[in-house]
Amino acid sequence: MSMKGIKDQTYYEILEVSTTATIKEIQKAYDHAKETFQADSLAVYSLFSEGEMREIQEAIEEAYWVLTNEVSRKSYDQSHFQTVGGQPTEKSIEAQGTSREKKTSLSFIGLSYNAEEELYRGKTLKQVREKMGVELQVISQETKINIKILEGIEEEALEKLPAMVYLKGFLKSFAQSIGLDPHRVVEDYLRFMDEAMKK
Amino acid sequence: MIWTIGGGKGGSGKSFITANIGICLSKLGVRVILIDADLGGANLHTFLGIPPPNLSLSDFIKKRVSSLPDVLIPTAIPNLQLLTGAQDLLNAVDAKSVQKRKLVRSIQSLQSDTILVDLGGGNSLSVLDFFLMSDGGILVVTPEPTSIENTYRFLKSAFYRRLKQSVSTASVKAMINGAMDQKNELGIQNPHDLIKAVRQINEEEANRMIEEAKTFHPNLILNQVRSKKDIEIGFSIRSACLKYFGIQLHYLGYVVYDQDVSHSIRKRRPLVLENSRSKAAQCVMEIASKLANHR
Repeated sequence: MSMKGIKDQTYYEILEVSTTATIKEIQKAYDHAKETFQADSLAVYSLFSEGEMREIQEAIEEAYWVLTNEVSRKSYDQSHFQTVGGQPTEKSIEAQGTSREKKTSLSFIGLSYNAEEELYRGKTLKQVREKMGVELQVISQETKINIKILEGIEEEALEKLPAMVYLKGFLKSFAQSIGLDPHRVVEDYLRFMDEAMKK
Repeated sequence: MIWTIGGGKGGSGKSFITANIGICLSKLGVRVILIDADLGGANLHTFLGIPPPNLSLSDFIKKRVSSLPDVLIPTAIPNLQLLTGAQDLLNAVDAKSVQKRKLVRSIQSLQSDTILVDLGGGNSLSVLDFFLMSDGGILVVTPEPTSIENTYRFLKSAFYRRLKQSVSTASVKAMINGAMDQKNELGIQNPHDLIKAVRQINEEEANRMIEEAKTFHPNLILNQVRSKKDIEIGFSIRSACLKYFGIQLHYLGYVVYDQDVSHSIRKRRPLVLENSRSKAAQCVMEIASKLANHR
């Protein structure tokens, strides 16, 4: 890897692990990355702007969630790497130029509900989850998000939702836990909220 | 093999580390020449416990001495010689790159296995060039904000200078110059922005710069560490450099904070000779053995 913006790096590059890394290795790499890119870390504050730091922190969280979930990692791998002799290799240069958002949305086509038209809002998230047959309780345990908040998200109880900065993170984790593209879910949900507020 | 030791700021321990690594290597049977190019305060001799030398590189440049080996100063340690006065040349504003390259060549032709150049805390173009021309650049950093800030400043300058040397188009060179100024009009904030901007005007040069960045592997020594957390900072610096510059920094090792270091400096006796069993000396030896295996 070299001189790629954070948006163009694969989740493996973001966490500095190999594509064959075990969960344990990913956990360790995540802990290191989190420690390194925290706001008051000596090693980064004079190199990165606040905006860049936020971008990196978010990318680290996202990479961690996707790579530690077996299902989402598998679909991510399938869309990012061609399998040559059983070993995943990085795709050709043409593919590298595209941003991660584009690549990620590709990876979730198989799993996503109504991939094109409809916005991801509370009820769509609920439908996807139910289609997968996962209890909200399980998601809550997996993502460590309070079940009340998950319920609020699904029920679209806007007045019960936490502050925007937390909500974004929760939506991301929730989306990842049910194999959806976190970027799209956050974007859609916020747009949905925006429209709902106007009404 | 020529190693240059630079970056950071005065007081991070570059001369201490240069002198003691040099001694360790010579004890391993490696022929070593130490070169003092510290502009601020050339005192590598003091770390070796010898008086200020009369002969220097200037005598060779001003042709008072006909060959470079004649200005080498022997030390009490077998296999170890000292060359001072390189700062005069690095300091010379009119030192053309031809001259600099000539100096590097004559240094390379010295009969030695390993040459360690103490660049001091300077940030001038000549220092940067010397750092970039060597086989391996070593940054000595202490786990303090000021030291790390200055090291990044040095690394940024060296990095952009190296990129600039790799391209030939005037417009791209100008763009790199612009990027070195944080408040540039192009809105280039970091190396990624720079590559993007260059790619828009010249795809080939952008690719050349990416290739050049891949070959830039500076080394890092963390000095005066006091805790396990301090040691981790070295790994964090490595990660930060990978994310920011896209370069692979090599974390050579760390030296623990140790009272024995200041005792040895006061006595004007090299630590690894005076107190080879001290913790700091053990750390230095470990780093030296890594360098020895690198040849």
